[in-house]
Amino acid sequence: MSKDMYTAALKNTLTEIKKICPDIKYSFIFTKDGAIISGDGETNNALTKKTVESFQSLAEKAGVIGGLDALFINGENGKLHISRVNDMYLVVTTSPDADIAYLRSITNVIVPTVLKLLENIAPTPLKFMPSQQLVVDTLTGLFTGDNVQIDDVHLKEWSQHLDGKDVNEVEVETISGKKVQCGVKKITDPKRQGKGMILIPEKTCRTLEVKKGDLVKVKSIAA
Amino acid sequence: METFEVKGKNKPEQEIKNLHVNLEDIKAKDGIIGYILRDPKSASVDIKDPSKIIDYAVLSSTVLDSGTHMTETFELGKIDHIVVEGGDVKVLSLAIDDHRVSVFMNKKVDHNAVYKDLHLK
Repeated sequence: MSKDMYTAALKNTLTEIKKICPDIKYSFIFTKDGAIISGDGETNNALTKKTVESFQSLAEKAGVIGGLDALFINGENGKLHISRVNDMYLVVTTSPDADIAYLRSITNVIVPTVLKLLENIAPTPLKFMPSQQLVVDTLTGLFTGDNVQIDDVHLKEWSQHLDGKDVNEVEVETISGKKVQCGVKKITDPKRQGKGMILIPEKTCRTLEVKKGDLVKVKSIAA
Repeated sequence: METFEVKGKNKPEQEIKNLHVNLEDIKAKDGIIGYILRDPKSASVDIKDPSKIIDYAVLSSTVLDSGTHMTETFELGKIDHIVVEGGDVKVLSLAIDDHRVSVFMNKKVDHNAVYKDLHLK
């Protein structure tokens, strides 16, 4: 089963849950590494990204209570519930009057069942690569080639997710949503190492319509 | 779920005193690990295991900060309360005016009852 099918299956699950519980406004699933797996189609990237960042900063401090299993926020205009399902987290936001106990009873049965089913269909767990936000710098010169360059630490992290396989290709996505797939190497210029940069050849910068200092999202496409 | 009115600014001093009293009552109940109450000038900390005070204080602060970010992201409005569940312990956090309260308890404790007790007097 491909990653796309896996994602589609979870997206359909969230959509069906929303039909059962019309109080749900947004729902999506992310891994403990922060990779967004699937959403109900109405949650945009900015919302999911901000939520995951806030959740992860909380998770870092939650060791003292035995990790982070669930988070519930009761707000004046709505509720947010994040619960752990296996190695993933399910995020649901609802109207203020939603019955969270009922919602939990639905999600805690359906989502794990679907995940279990997917696990049986695709016994090799799919790897969802955590993406990195990096600052653009341009690669100039005659011998720059077509590869982008990023810090070795990111390549090693992705490689770990791929059981030690080398990462040779990445997807670069701009804030406006433009994407390219290209080869990747580690940054060779010591002055530009360890600064959270991605060095992009000028030609690719023009394709992406990015310039020095812009933020882009980078992830391995080897998954 | 029951809702409780959290009154606006300039909360009378008496109500804050009541909050302290309520926290002392809550602390004496089964399964309660302790609490942290902070205002801009001071903090009251009562945690059964003193070696964990700093970790609990950091977590308490992060819960409300992260909760605020998420609430803004999804436009959930003013936070009434936040519950964070860990493997063994859960935390009930809320802000009452400029007072930030976090009550730490064993996972089996009914946090809704604790929430109710916080607003009793």
